Amino acid sequence: MSNKVYGLLARFDTPAAIMSAAEKVRDAGYKKWDVITPFPIHGMDGAMGLRRSRVPRFTLVGGSLGFTIGMSMIFFMNKFDYPLIVGGKPFFSPMFAFPVSYELTILLAAFGTIIGMFLLNRLPMHYHPILKYDDIHKSSDDQFFLVIENSDPEFNKAETNKLLSDVGSLEIQELEE
Amino acid sequence: MSNPSAKSSISGSKPVGKPTVALTIGVIALLITSIGFFMYPKEVASSWLLASAYSTAIGLGLLLMVMLHHIFDAGWSTVIRRTLEHSLAIFPWLALFFLPLIILSYFEPSLIWKWMDPHFDLSTIGGHGTVGSDILYVKKSALLNFPTFVIIYLVSFVSWIWLSSRFRKASFTQDEDGSGAHTTTCRKMAALGIPVVAFSSTLIACLWLKSLDYHWFSTMYGVWFFTGAMRAALATIALICIFLSRNALKGLFLRSHMLQLGNMMLAFTVFWAYISFSQYFLIWNANIPEETFWYVIREHGNWRYVGYTLIFAHFFFPLFFLLGHRNKLIKGRMIFICVWVLLTQLLDFYYNILPYKKDGEGNPFEFGVSVWDVTALIGIGGICIWAFLRSFNKTRPIPIRDPRILESLNYHE
Repeated sequence: MSNKVYGLLARFDTPAAIMSAAEKVRDAGYKKWDVITPFPIHGMDGAMGLRRSRVPRFTLVGGSLGFTIGMSMIFFMNKFDYPLIVGGKPFFSPMFAFPVSYELTILLAAFGTIIGMFLLNRLPMHYHPILKYDDIHKSSDDQFFLVIENSDPEFNKAETNKLLSDVGSLEIQELEE
Repeated sequence: MSNPSAKSSISGSKPVGKPTVALTIGVIALLITSIGFFMYPKEVASSWLLASAYSTAIGLGLLLMVMLHHIFDAGWSTVIRRTLEHSLAIFPWLALFFLPLIILSYFEPSLIWKWMDPHFDLSTIGGHGTVGSDILYVKKSALLNFPTFVIIYLVSFVSWIWLSSRFRKASFTQDEDGSGAHTTTCRKMAALGIPVVAFSSTLIACLWLKSLDYHWFSTMYGVWFFTGAMRAALATIALICIFLSRNALKGLFLRSHMLQLGNMMLAFTVFWAYISFSQYFLIWNANIPEETFWYVIREHGNWRYVGYTLIFAHFFFPLFFLLGHRNKLIKGRMIFICVWVLLTQLLDFYYNILPYKKDGEGNPFEFGVSVWDVTALIGIGGICIWAFLRSFNKTRPIPIRDPRILESLNYHE
């Protein structure tokens, strides 16, 4: 077993405590860190300095792709591959191609959203160093945790440890990779 | 925390806006419009129909938003609900504004709606025969006749005024006694009111606007009116709340509330496109002359470009603008898109209403904004703003004892 340090974990017992701790960690310039709480805390994204999720970009790409594929598929099929007059209408018109393209827009936008969410969250993830911490199950009950990762450029074991105790954590634990 | 035992007297808080200025501007514009009527009766009558239909649509959208809040037991919109309730004070005025068209149509039946006059000569607008001998009129005359027109106008406005006064009264009384029972009553009222408004607004849209070309068939028209009403009402309430966030709603109307209004505007942008496209697509696909003529006259002259403008300015531009998250959080950008949507929605009303005026060939007159459109809109708008401000300054700016007010004040996306 390697003894490489993954990061430092700090425990808090109220939402207010972890909220103010998160603000201080954010202001100290850390980037690779996270909080683990039993429930969503309103305003935590601001306290952590999180930016908006990038998932919508995947949605936009998926949706645009779906619309283009739908339109060009019907254009190719009806105009060249198998031209057929239906109801006296032209071989191709965006009018009747629209409902199908619209359905494909929604389908591929949904796929894009799901794929984007998995990619950005690096899912599926079968192991995480935090699971080695014995009391981590309390994060789904009544305890609040803050983890700063070793890979953060600002990370320094002694200084980060001091910061975490200064912001009022009840317990600090070193996590192994 | 606020003190719930405080009485509802709001002495000390500064009144918002300048109701007298709005009233003066409105009355002057109405006077100019009525002088114009004696000079150009037909032109001013259609301007008046445009302005009163547009403002009635906004009123209905606002009423529906109050009822949507109650029926979904919504939390976030509690802060803006009081503003919505005050805006419902315009309903009696809306009823009054439409009344002149009914009275004038009684004395001069062919003024706007040709089907009101059985002796009207259809050859003057590119047809043949008279209205009374027109089989499409005869078959539709069960709905399209003057007594039914008046009765539906009366029943609709009575039910809208009744609903809006009930919601207002329940909310204002809750400020006094703090009883949660008002909230439950309002929820039941909303369950009753939504079908009533859906049915009556569809009839009103068909009688006021769709019957201008009474040959036409479309099952989408009532929903089109609803989407337009919601888009205009959302833009209106967002504008009012942004204006009030500088004084009465300072620190109460938050960015997260504005974001939600923007999201609803985005949703109804897509819904409007869905409905408008479906109507066009079904008529295009079926290709029956009784239906296609409506779009054919709207491809005549510069109306074609009005149609293109609607596609790009009323759908694509607001869609991509409102997709941007930041655009819904910055006040200046929200003001811009709200004004934009209000204007393009007005253009949609122009597109739906004005081509009924045709020359001897059956072609519509070119699209143009007349000075009477502007005076009618300013007149009706001025009176509506006056009615809103007069009501707004009578109560607290938010429903302070609503069970969900705290949730709304701390609302976070």
